[in-house]
Amino acid sequence: MVVYPDWAALAPALALAVTGLVLLLIDSVDPDDSRPGLLAGTAVVGTLVSLGYAGWFLASGTGQVDGGTGAISLYRDALVVDGMALFFQAVFAVVTALVCIASYDYLKERAYQAEFYSLVMFAATGMAVMATANSLATAFIALELASLPSYALVAFLKHNRGSVEASLKYFLIGALSSAVFAFGISLVYAATGSLLLADVASALSALDGGLTGVAAIGVLMVAGGFAFKTASVPFHFWAPEAYEGAPAPISAFLSSASKAAGFAVLFRVFTTAFPLDAAGVDWMLLFQVLAVVTMTLGNFAAATQETVKRMLAYSSIGHAGYALIGLAAWSGGAPGSVENGAVLGASMAHLLVYGFMNTGAFLFVALAEQWDVGRTFEDYAGLGSRAPMASVAMTVFMFSLAGVPPFGGFFSKLFLFAGAVDAGFWWLAAVGVVNSTLSLYYYSRVVKALWVDDPVGEFELGGTPTGLYVAVVFAAVGTLLLLPGFAPVIETAQSVAAALVP
Amino acid sequence: MNQWIAVGALALMGVGIPLGMIAVSSLIRPSVPEQGKSSTYESGEIPTKSAIGIQFNIQYYMVALLFVVFDIETVLLFPWTVIYQPALESGVGLMTLLFPMLVFIGVLVIGLVWAWRQGAVKWARSEAATRRKTEHNS
Amino acid sequence: MVPAEWYLILAAAVFCIGVFGLLTRQNALLFLMSVELMLNAANINLAAFSYYWGNVTGQTFGLFVMALAAAEVAVGIGIILVLYRNFSAVDVTDATTMRW
Repeated sequence: MVVYPDWAALAPALALAVTGLVLLLIDSVDPDDSRPGLLAGTAVVGTLVSLGYAGWFLASGTGQVDGGTGAISLYRDALVVDGMALFFQAVFAVVTALVCIASYDYLKERAYQAEFYSLVMFAATGMAVMATANSLATAFIALELASLPSYALVAFLKHNRGSVEASLKYFLIGALSSAVFAFGISLVYAATGSLLLADVASALSALDGGLTGVAAIGVLMVAGGFAFKTASVPFHFWAPEAYEGAPAPISAFLSSASKAAGFAVLFRVFTTAFPLDAAGVDWMLLFQVLAVVTMTLGNFAAATQETVKRMLAYSSIGHAGYALIGLAAWSGGAPGSVENGAVLGASMAHLLVYGFMNTGAFLFVALAEQWDVGRTFEDYAGLGSRAPMASVAMTVFMFSLAGVPPFGGFFSKLFLFAGAVDAGFWWLAAVGVVNSTLSLYYYSRVVKALWVDDPVGEFELGGTPTGLYVAVVFAAVGTLLLLPGFAPVIETAQSVAAALVP
Repeated sequence: MNQWIAVGALALMGVGIPLGMIAVSSLIRPSVPEQGKSSTYESGEIPTKSAIGIQFNIQYYMVALLFVVFDIETVLLFPWTVIYQPALESGVGLMTLLFPMLVFIGVLVIGLVWAWRQGAVKWARSEAATRRKTEHNS
Repeated sequence: MVPAEWYLILAAAVFCIGVFGLLTRQNALLFLMSVELMLNAANINLAAFSYYWGNVTGQTFGLFVMALAAAEVAVGIGIILVLYRNFSAVDVTDATTMRW
């Protein structure tokens, strides 16, 4: 049997990084982007290799507790490869692959294609490292590696005022929150003398009086940094602007992969580094409040929107609120027990399903932008008869996002709310259910526009962009396949979540 | 004796000598006020515009940005150079020590090659700049 | 030796100056400078407590923060340049084509 070196466990992240560099080299040889197919192909192959590694490791038990090697620590515990890291890396790879396939059509006739793909790859690398970060230092650097290319990508349409404005707002709030995050880390370091999550946890438990306040402020500021990345209250202001102004494939990328990456590192840092009773911060209560406020605000704002893209942007904030339940209801069981894994794992499974359905929904918006049909609900009227396949896919995404029974989104929400109830937080689940009901209203507006309403005027759809179609349909198939395939997904998610908790 | 006294003395000298020289020279020099002395350029060139709001060629920014990024990356070499010799003496293999840094520099080189090929460091002459120059000379 | 709390107070003061600048200035470049101040406040803490705890983790992380701050400025200046081209201003309150 071949013995692999330890760093080979980072293959999913390395594949993405190497792909980004290869794209830069291709662009150096051929600066004119004369072969867009080659660029898109390289990017897609790179993400599929990454997905292959992540899936293979998950299946073969690398880094997992039962039947595997146990978590693999690398570089003096700065990084750790375990089930949760691999699970999230698979999510990022899927979303990145969909975005790259769709971008092939979206970028036609545009300059700087190679840069676009390599920036996407670097951002995806940052996300993959975020999932493995086991120290506050690597968490910060990976978070920035994911953020910096994103700022540039949002401003990709540099002659479009909306795109530039979105990027400015995204950047300003991102820079602010990264400074807050860095200061929080420095305060945690001041109180504990370490940046490794495990050492921080043990030092916080044994903290003497003087530095408790410092540690508490530090923990709050670190939470603020993650709130930005996950687009949760109170750092959510950038999300509607950035998602609306950005090129639609990038909106899909940011609202699915980037958000999931934020949750990956949030789950790991808060479950391993900050013990519940330490430092005088009841962060459980903090996340309960944040979860309720985030989902309510996101859903109510989404209900009042006129443009589809902005509605999706606010609904994305709402889904961040659902995913926060995983952390807010986390401490229900005893340490290491199954209940602990249950709600956290349900939250992770929800992020996976969300990765498919939300990416698909934004890519449908990209398709509509490509056809130039307009942005509001009314503009989508009659698309059902013009582009039936894409409209069916969009209908699947909408009902799945709303959590209507026969779709993937229903099961993940069911497990999530059931987990919250089991953990004794029935009121969190109740708020979630009320919000889901409200969300059905605005999601069904899209479906109604697609199939029921008559088109306002005559219009011609300009061709069928193959790549976008493939990506949209694939995302829809993914959402549907998660129906019969949900059992293994939730089992994997819950077992890796249970392994995360010490 | 406190070791900080030497530092304090040095600081005192460093601040005191220039201040003393300025004070002494202002006491003994003759004062002859003249208009030319207060103008921006004593050579006689009359400034035409304010320096605020002036626009530089975009290429200055490109070069400056490349400089800032690559210059700051060298900061990450410092910890490595500090541990290099002791680690080598304590028996860490040369490749284990050198290889990660080579990878790091390799990544930077790929970035630089890319920027080069994109023309970020090529000093293209813009038409506006050439025109301004010739107008000025004539 | 300077007591550790003084460094905390200094860092907090620098951080607050950064926050103040960020809230009161509308020029995007001054915004960047304010963020830089906030990051350097973190660096003060990291360096001081690296000495206090007797390990180099904080100092090393401080170097990373510096490198990241430079990278952030590079991206930020690029965005501000395209902002200037589209809106003919570097005022962060001018770009309001979308509803806030």
